[in-house]
Amino acid sequence: MTDSTLESVGGRPAGGRVLVLLDGSRVSLSALEAAASIAEHTGAEVHGVFVEEQDLLRSAGYGFAREVGAFSGLSRPLDVVALEQRMQRLAEQTRRTLAGVVGRYGGRYRLNISRGRVVEEVLALAGPEDLLVLGRARWATVPGPLLGSTVRGLVQRSPGRLLLWSQQRAPTRGRIVVFLNDHEQANRRAVSAAAEAAAYSRQPVALLLAEGASVTGQQLSELKQLTGLPESEVQVLTLPASDPVTIARLLRRQQAAQLVLSRECSLFQEPGAEALLSALHLPVTITP
Amino acid sequence: MAVPAALTEDQVYHRCPIEKLDFDSTDTLDDLEQPVGQERMLRALEFGASMQAGGFNLFVLGPSGAGKHELVKRFLSRHAAGLPAPPDWCHVFNFKASDKPRAIRLAPGEGNQFRTDMNDLVAELKTAIPATFESEEYQARIQELQEEVARRQSRGLFEIQEEANQNNIAMLATHSGFTFAPMRNGEVIDPEEYQKFSDDEKALIEAKVEDLQKKLQQAIQQVPRLRKEVRQRIRALNEEMVQLTLGGPIGELREKWRHVPAVVDHLDAVREDVVEHAEVFQDSEDSPPSGLLNRYKVNLLVDNAETRGAPVVYEDLPSHQHLTGQIEHRARQGNLYTDFTLIRPGSLHQANGGYLIVDARRILMQPLAWESLKRILFSGEIRIESLERLYGLATTVSQQPEPIPLSVKVVLLGDRMLYYLLSHYDPDFLDLFKVEADFEDDLERDDNSYQLYARMLATMARAAGLRALDKTGVGRLIEHASRLASDQKKLTAHDRVLKDLLSESDHWAAQAGSGFIEAVHVQQAIDEREYRASRIRERSLEQIQRGVVMIATSGEQVGQVNGLSVLQLGATRFGQPTRITATARPGKGQVVDIEREAKLGGPIHSKAVMILSRFLANRYAPLGQLSLSASLAFEQSYGGVEGDSASVAETCVLLSAITGVPLKQSLAVTGSMNQHGEVQAVGGVNEKIEGFFRVCRQSGEVKGQGALLPASNVEHLMLEESVRVAIRAGDFSIYPIRHIDEAIELMTGLPAGQPDADGQYPEGSFNRRVADRLAAFAEATEAKDENGGTNGAGDGEGKSGD
Repeated sequence: MTDSTLESVGGRPAGGRVLVLLDGSRVSLSALEAAASIAEHTGAEVHGVFVEEQDLLRSAGYGFAREVGAFSGLSRPLDVVALEQRMQRLAEQTRRTLAGVVGRYGGRYRLNISRGRVVEEVLALAGPEDLLVLGRARWATVPGPLLGSTVRGLVQRSPGRLLLWSQQRAPTRGRIVVFLNDHEQANRRAVSAAAEAAAYSRQPVALLLAEGASVTGQQLSELKQLTGLPESEVQVLTLPASDPVTIARLLRRQQAAQLVLSRECSLFQEPGAEALLSALHLPVTITP
Repeated sequence: MAVPAALTEDQVYHRCPIEKLDFDSTDTLDDLEQPVGQERMLRALEFGASMQAGGFNLFVLGPSGAGKHELVKRFLSRHAAGLPAPPDWCHVFNFKASDKPRAIRLAPGEGNQFRTDMNDLVAELKTAIPATFESEEYQARIQELQEEVARRQSRGLFEIQEEANQNNIAMLATHSGFTFAPMRNGEVIDPEEYQKFSDDEKALIEAKVEDLQKKLQQAIQQVPRLRKEVRQRIRALNEEMVQLTLGGPIGELREKWRHVPAVVDHLDAVREDVVEHAEVFQDSEDSPPSGLLNRYKVNLLVDNAETRGAPVVYEDLPSHQHLTGQIEHRARQGNLYTDFTLIRPGSLHQANGGYLIVDARRILMQPLAWESLKRILFSGEIRIESLERLYGLATTVSQQPEPIPLSVKVVLLGDRMLYYLLSHYDPDFLDLFKVEADFEDDLERDDNSYQLYARMLATMARAAGLRALDKTGVGRLIEHASRLASDQKKLTAHDRVLKDLLSESDHWAAQAGSGFIEAVHVQQAIDEREYRASRIRERSLEQIQRGVVMIATSGEQVGQVNGLSVLQLGATRFGQPTRITATARPGKGQVVDIEREAKLGGPIHSKAVMILSRFLANRYAPLGQLSLSASLAFEQSYGGVEGDSASVAETCVLLSAITGVPLKQSLAVTGSMNQHGEVQAVGGVNEKIEGFFRVCRQSGEVKGQGALLPASNVEHLMLEESVRVAIRAGDFSIYPIRHIDEAIELMTGLPAGQPDADGQYPEGSFNRRVADRLAAFAEATEAKDENGGTNGAGDGEGKSGD
């Protein structure tokens, strides 16, 4: 891994950074906007991560390698030299974009360009205090409900908080919906993340209790306080069932603008949970 | 020949017999339903208004101020009241061709109902459709549909990925697509290591990669088809939901309007359009754009809900736009914008099924309006088009509304000259305006007409909110109406003049504190009116009095006579005497009309002089040459002279010049003469006689003066009071003459003399003197001719009237 760029544009020091995974795609650019906006409110440094995928470079080394266009389906030769050039161009473009976007928000930034496997490279950089922001898979060009393997890997293995950004427009007058379960610490982490988001987005919060969750009234009251919002702006709801269709319907009814849940949440154990996350088209924050 | 007797007072003025008026005041008289004496015009109107065939539009012709407009409007309103109210018309959006709005015909009163129904539907669309799309049911079904299609879309990709994995081949995402490479333990094998593989292994892998690539290509190329399928299924779902939502309201409307197939079609088109634009309604944060909803509204072009009978519309500014309607534009951010709701009706739309009244002069003065009206009448439909578009001056896309069938009677009002000019110069005119309704200028005056005329005056006074007239007032107005008609046997039908006179009389009655309009008030109105217009006349009289303009009213004079002429200035006319002089000497039968030579004489005047020239030749030199060189002139006349009414005077003065017999200057002469010396009627006799009377009165006492006029003009006399007083006293005489000889005798005091069997006039007669004198002229001329003309015989002009 090489740390090729180190730039700073002032701002106050913060506990964690905002790591944003950049690959030159439109969805990563949208994620960068979200990351810069969060960093502006938290005062954190934006740390861009651009990984030149090792496997991709290797595959280009085969004489028979061809690239099939995701939109047109047309096949064309793929070679190392062209791929190297394309990656350099994207890296340069990413650098300019990062400077432009962060500069607009008036924060500090750093760009990390490395070569290797994406998940490993990101995990090597990310700490428990960092917020990792990433867009959905590049496969977004081909319609499909499932998350990409990189996203899947990071969702499961990220040491800190992760924001899975969606390019789709969420309702502006919506709520931040937090999934709660039996794990008290996990619940607190999720509500803290929602409180931070609510603080700068000025959106109300809805706490969603999973079916049969044993959260006491005391705990619930503490969690409400933790949101930092007046009582009237915090709504508590109980899920009648935990199947993806019921959840999707409830989120729609609540006009959910963002979803927050802990990796410990039972939702992750449900079959089809990944498909649900993918199909929601909402920004989803996953806390440890 | 016996000299005619002077006219009596009764002959120069036809009094209204007050005793025959069977009322005290017009208060007791009923209003007239029909105008008096306009039977021909009314029959024409009745025919034109009822005639169904094409082209039978009307042209009502009559002088300005005759009351054409009021009468026609009143007649048509009464006629139209018995006809059914025409249909309503509205424009609606055309969903197939947005720039060609459709026209829908509805029964009278239904247009407003249809508009209200569609407004209600739009209001319902605003809330019901978004509610449907936000419903749990719709959202769940959309999600299911999207998931299913997405599943099908991705299934292929994942099957390929699965197959690749099973064959130890990695499917990697690049920035713009996918690629395949051999892998081991989840990592792509280094190409250098791959080189160590056996050829068989490599061939197997490469064949598999190629196979996978083909499958991937096929899978990706399926995506557009799947996307299209999604769109179709979403549309089907939207349609289903909209059908359910709108099924009720649109179903009710379809049922309600099933008797109008065009409305049912429109409702179906609206439902289709809502389905088409379902996604716009789905946006719950913003209501559907007003532009979309406006398309479902109704532009009620013609609303006959309140119309009773057929409409009668008067267009006071008949421009192209006002007649045919127009398409307005709204300015929006510097751009001009229009749609079918901005189509405005014209008066032809409003009058469709009824009558449209237009002033002919006004429509002819509006650019291209006449052509547009004719085009519409020929085509039988109203097509709204802007002038700039019609004449290719603008090519921007605009609305082209569906033409509306036209069934209207156009009634043009205008003066006669316009009618005759249009008939002559516009080949379309008589095809389109086949019915002429000609206004009578004057009404018959007899014992039966007094009562009707009084009722007409009563109607006018009541309509204008004026005082009633008493008997004397009516009588005086009737007498004045004869004067205005310049005929003792006629009464004027000129509406405006009578109304104005009534109003003025009412004013003077008010000033006098009278409850009725009496004769004295009418007289005051006439006098005041005359006084207001008398400045020029007074100036003219003053010129005569001071001798600037030379007119003699007493004594005798050779070669000089008082002719009479009429001056028309604006609405007033007055008469005044003009001195006509003549000279005569031997010559070659020529009478020089100095007015003509100076290009001041009109053709009719020239004709009259030629006639008198031929009269002289024929009468006094039937067998020989008329050896005369004479000249005639209107003295101190600096304007044009036209007409033949001075030909009697000109003959008299010429004969006086020939004979040297003086003419009486106390008599003025008017009258036209033919080649046989018969005196013919002329115009303006009242004004002429009054004009001469005023000059006589101004130059001293009126004693023994008078005027000669054609006997056929006697019944045109309606002379003013002062002249009548002088006639009664025998101070002023009016002689009706039938032949030039009567004029000669009156003017010279000599007998004219009739020729005997040999054509010889008796000794001592005036005509004998003429004949002798002309014979002397002839001798003189012959003597000069024999001398070779060395003495400068003749006038040397070398032209001969013969």
